[in-house]
Amino acid sequence: MRSITRTVWAILSKDLLLEWRERTRTLSVILFAVVTLLLFSFALGPDVDALRAATPGFLTLALLLSSTLALGESFRLEREDHALEGLVMRPVGAGSIFYAKALANALLLTLLAPIVVTLAVVLYSLEIGAGSLARLIGCWSLGAAGLAAPGTLYAAMTSRLKTQDVALPILLFPLVVPVLLGSVKAMDLVLFGDAMGQLGSWISLLIAFDVIYWAVCGVLFRFALEEGE
Amino acid sequence: MTESEHGLAVDAKGLGRRFGRVWALAHVDLAVEFGTSVWLRGANGAGKTTLLRMLASLSTPSCGELSVAGFDVYRELDDIRREVSFISHALYLYPGLTAIETMLLWMRLGEGEVNRADAADRLAEVGLVGAATRRVGEFSAGMKKRLALARTQLEAPKVLLLDEPFSSLDTAGCQLVEAWVLKFVEGGGTVVMASHDHERSLALCQLVIDLENGQITGSHAGGGGA
Repeated sequence: MRSITRTVWAILSKDLLLEWRERTRTLSVILFAVVTLLLFSFALGPDVDALRAATPGFLTLALLLSSTLALGESFRLEREDHALEGLVMRPVGAGSIFYAKALANALLLTLLAPIVVTLAVVLYSLEIGAGSLARLIGCWSLGAAGLAAPGTLYAAMTSRLKTQDVALPILLFPLVVPVLLGSVKAMDLVLFGDAMGQLGSWISLLIAFDVIYWAVCGVLFRFALEEGE
Repeated sequence: MTESEHGLAVDAKGLGRRFGRVWALAHVDLAVEFGTSVWLRGANGAGKTTLLRMLASLSTPSCGELSVAGFDVYRELDDIRREVSFISHALYLYPGLTAIETMLLWMRLGEGEVNRADAADRLAEVGLVGAATRRVGEFSAGMKKRLALARTQLEAPKVLLLDEPFSSLDTAGCQLVEAWVLKFVEGGGTVVMASHDHERSLALCQLVIDLENGQITGSHAGGGGA
């Protein structure tokens, strides 16, 4: 029996190769995240203390807003020549398609972390060591994983709509509130100290939601592929 | 299970497909044996593509019963997709991949070995050996169709569904499709095709089914296999 790993890797490596060749989506998402972070700092003014205090929220919002851009684009190539139908026509199972697309999205969003987090450190004059920087990137990555799974499901559902740009965030944002909360709290504890030892609990919460989203969305994805009446 | 245990290649009873309030296909009864070639004939909007998409398991029927290659379209999707190949209007190609990468991707999504030499041979069969490393986005419509044909040759279907197989192809390309269909049917496979190329289709297929406004209005023998 064909291994699901082989199928997931085949679709994932195809997505990564096409992304590498085109690069427009990656560059747009990186640029969007950087601009978002800059605009937040302009909006709050030169108060460095306020900027520092708001850093966890700014980082999480930059991730969230960039994710809608990345996720919305992730099915564009699949719709161009109805290539997604070609994948569906192979006996690969909807789950394999979902996990490959979701992994590609999670990788792209995680790729933003070193750039955006480092930029935040410089912009907001944060004084943190390499360990905290790595933990901050880790929190970002868990948040990215929590957005990528439901985001991939909703991106597939809305990819046939002309109003995808509007529909995707409306559907996605309410669902990922627990991930946003967990991400903001975890980053806050990494940046400003964890006197009560709460970081582990928030990380566990993030991991739990990631596991739930990846499992449930993997099961539901086949409905997103069905032709409507 | 063997073909005889399965019975018919296509078995539809009271099949219908609705889009909103419009029935694109209604009350379709169709039985096609293995080793038969069928031409679906009808004007634009007659329901040919809708029927082919349902046979390919890409569109779920709104009503009726349907089995393809012996498998139920409601419950045995993966089995149907193992036994059915479909070349539709859309060719399911990625413009950013080269022809050989397209073939290798198809192999990786299948159950067989991934063999670059075999993929190159298939490309040579459809006259694309010189274009193997060119990106699909640079191909003409005819070259894309040939690539889709080569890719389908990697599969081992029992039922072959073709929607306008001659469109975009030059004379040599059309002859390639004809030879392929004949060989496939001789080997016991079933072909169901929709085409507006009346002359070629009539000569190629054994059975002609007329569709009008989503309903089968008649059927008669074609020239194929005569």
